[in-house]
Amino acid sequence: MSVASVTLDSNRGRDRTDARNDALFRWALRFCALLVLAALLGAALSTLWGGREVLFGDGWRFLTSAQWNPVENRYGAWAPIYGTLVTSLIAIVIAVPLSFGIALFLTEIAPAWLRAPIGTGIELLAAIPSIIYGMWGLFVFVPFMAAHVDPLLDASLGRLPWIGTLFQGPPLGLGLLTAGIVLAVMIVPFISSVMREVFQTVPVRLKESAYALGSTTWEVAWDIVLPYTRQAVIGGIFLGLGRALGETMAVTFVLGNAYGLTASLLMPGTSISSSIANEFNEAAGLHRSALIALGFLLFVVTFIVLLIARWMLRSLQRKAGKA
Amino acid sequence: MTDLATATQSGSQPVAPAPAKIAVRNLQFHYRDFHAVRNVHMDIPERQVTAIIGPSGCGKSTLLRVFNRIYAIYPHLRAEGEVRLDGENILDPGYSLNRLRSKVGMVFQKPVPFPMTIFENIAYGIRHHESLSRADMDVRVEQALRAAALWDEVKDKLKHSALGLSGGQQQRLCIARGIALRPQVLLLDEPTSALDPIATGRIEQLIEELKRDYTIVIVTHNMQQAARVSDRTAFMYMGELIEFGDTEKIFTKPDKKQTEDYITGRFG
Amino acid sequence: MSTRIHRRRHAKNIAAQVLASAATLLALAFLVWILWETISRGLQAIGISLFTKITAYADQGGLANAIVGSAIIDAMAIALSAPIGVMAGAYLAEYARSTRLGATIRFLNDILLSAPSIVLGLFVYVIVVLPMTAVTNGTTTFSALAGSIALALIGLPVIVRTTDEMLQLVPSTLREAALSLGIPQWKLTVQVLMRAAGSGILTGVLLALARLSGETAPLLFTAFGNNYMAFGPLEKMASLPAAIYQYTNDPNPALHAIAWAGALLIALFVLALSLLARTVFARGKTSHD
Repeated sequence: MSVASVTLDSNRGRDRTDARNDALFRWALRFCALLVLAALLGAALSTLWGGREVLFGDGWRFLTSAQWNPVENRYGAWAPIYGTLVTSLIAIVIAVPLSFGIALFLTEIAPAWLRAPIGTGIELLAAIPSIIYGMWGLFVFVPFMAAHVDPLLDASLGRLPWIGTLFQGPPLGLGLLTAGIVLAVMIVPFISSVMREVFQTVPVRLKESAYALGSTTWEVAWDIVLPYTRQAVIGGIFLGLGRALGETMAVTFVLGNAYGLTASLLMPGTSISSSIANEFNEAAGLHRSALIALGFLLFVVTFIVLLIARWMLRSLQRKAGKA
Repeated sequence: MTDLATATQSGSQPVAPAPAKIAVRNLQFHYRDFHAVRNVHMDIPERQVTAIIGPSGCGKSTLLRVFNRIYAIYPHLRAEGEVRLDGENILDPGYSLNRLRSKVGMVFQKPVPFPMTIFENIAYGIRHHESLSRADMDVRVEQALRAAALWDEVKDKLKHSALGLSGGQQQRLCIARGIALRPQVLLLDEPTSALDPIATGRIEQLIEELKRDYTIVIVTHNMQQAARVSDRTAFMYMGELIEFGDTEKIFTKPDKKQTEDYITGRFG
Repeated sequence: MSTRIHRRRHAKNIAAQVLASAATLLALAFLVWILWETISRGLQAIGISLFTKITAYADQGGLANAIVGSAIIDAMAIALSAPIGVMAGAYLAEYARSTRLGATIRFLNDILLSAPSIVLGLFVYVIVVLPMTAVTNGTTTFSALAGSIALALIGLPVIVRTTDEMLQLVPSTLREAALSLGIPQWKLTVQVLMRAAGSGILTGVLLALARLSGETAPLLFTAFGNNYMAFGPLEKMASLPAAIYQYTNDPNPALHAIAWAGALLIALFVLALSLLARTVFARGKTSHD
């Protein structure tokens, strides 16, 4: 009986240590998980703080003024904002149909044995570091654009009324269009992998019954698969947009870093991220504050875009989970 | 006490002379609003094999999982009433969980070896409860593996990963892991449903040997298995204990119509 | 009449299939183009001096200090992000699988995964570099430590997500089996579940390392750069991506060649890591079934 009471006590003691260690462990884990929140919140607050002189000093004028003049110490963010929006828009316009084609090819057209290796190849595009996109863009793609694409655009689309202004200019190679194309290549793997994933969630019954009615592959994709997955496809596009907005290295080299606002896509420009990358280490005082304020703007905009993206993707994951 | 308890059992005679190891009184089990187990009274005799049978969803696994409070790791599950192990109510929050888990071992439907060596699989649980010397630990591990009739097959590869064993061997390893803590009760939750007939035969043989030292409660959907291995059989249906008694009697002349229907295969 | 409709639908279908195949080919062409230029231009400048000489010698030098710097910064970054990420992922999988807090953190972690890296660099500049400058009266400003914290923020969400997913794949019977032996939750998590999900978690860490080792933007205003060899975590430190950035911006073509060699090194490292992650993951998968 004395043995039993000893083990009884040691059991009680072990219960207590276990409970205490479990509680400690749980709190340590929870603390680490909360660091994720802290990182996002910290990024927002610290850039807000760092850019306060400009953000609170100039207010709306900071957003709307196109004058970025370190000599006179006046900073307006419109040119970088414009460049970021235009390059991202070009990227989306190019990447979305490309990604749709790739996803269609990998889910409906390609023979089964070809899907895995090609899928891996497309994913590799996402693994290439952005600095390499930037170098390749500057040393390889910019000369290619200058020699082949820019003159062609200037001579053809540039002659058209209205949209012609978008494509007029000297064949510099550098510029908004080039940056947009490089960004498009970068975000294609993200958008296409989302599309590919969600296309596979379409119930086989649904597709088979359409095929049974004599629908072609294209009709199944356009009339069945796309409507069924529309929400997640939009989510995937926003995901790509978020990436494009925030990308730095790939665009910094090929954009030309010019604050002038031009209608032509063949002309150099700047973007929020490339302004920060190019100028931050030479900037001081208000200039530095303006750059951090740009960072705050970029963070808020990408946060909202990514929020929408994840929201749309989340509801599809639920739907797929239930089906 | 025991007399009173057996008297409340639904329709069975006090066949077992052995004292009750586990006494279940007025047990209710809820999952959110679902009343999964109702008003169960039963006395599980010491060092015998008690089988719980019934159609799937009848609450037999749920009942088993109350006996070591493993259900409590999931939210929204609630057990009320009393489950007395050697006279003490294990549902009392003050009942030491370590004590309960070292007294009541459990083996699951699918073999779940830990991702460790064969030796570590056995030693891991012991180490949490006792600090043994290396030599003592070696002895304990060997004893457990011998008791689970696995020693001869694994003695040369104790340092190998347990994931390399066959399904039947893995399940015997799980039994060895359970009895290494020297429990008094062993809960088996459909222990052979994932195994082939030969491996099943070996486990059943093992159960026969183990009942000399342990009180065994086995949940099974296989009626022949219950008939082969158990001394007492409980039949559950829709969350209620319909009949509990001597295995031979349950399978030859049950008191209740529902039991007879189930045994003869008319439903479930 | 119906054959004409049929023929038009058929033609449309063929056109769509051709265009989809062309889109795939185009993307693959870009992949081959980028890899080919990196390999061919990089190989031309790879030599002994790349690994033995430092960037202070400019076009007569190499990238030795940048290689060492990258190794140090990346190692510190993964040493920071791996334990925190694994613990955060374990919290999500084991304690917050279906709680509102868990859903929120999971959701925001996915956003952090694609957040602009340059802003994370600014964040670390404001919370590490500026205070450090103030505290040390300017003797310490930019530092390898600041760089590694910025990179850790890049790797963190990758590790959190894979750990969460991999732990959720561990069958709950393993939890029940360990708990039924009286093993407490923390031991179960660290010694059983993390071991069971080990190869998956390792995959996440490798992918995180691949991702953060190619990042440039967050390093520019945290670790800054250094033309000399540096080892101390509080020193300014060179890194491969930052050195490549600097050389690419330079008009000197000889420096461009060195930058390509550096780019090839990074590309090889990143691709090797991705490949390794795939094999680790595949092996882990087969050993479980």
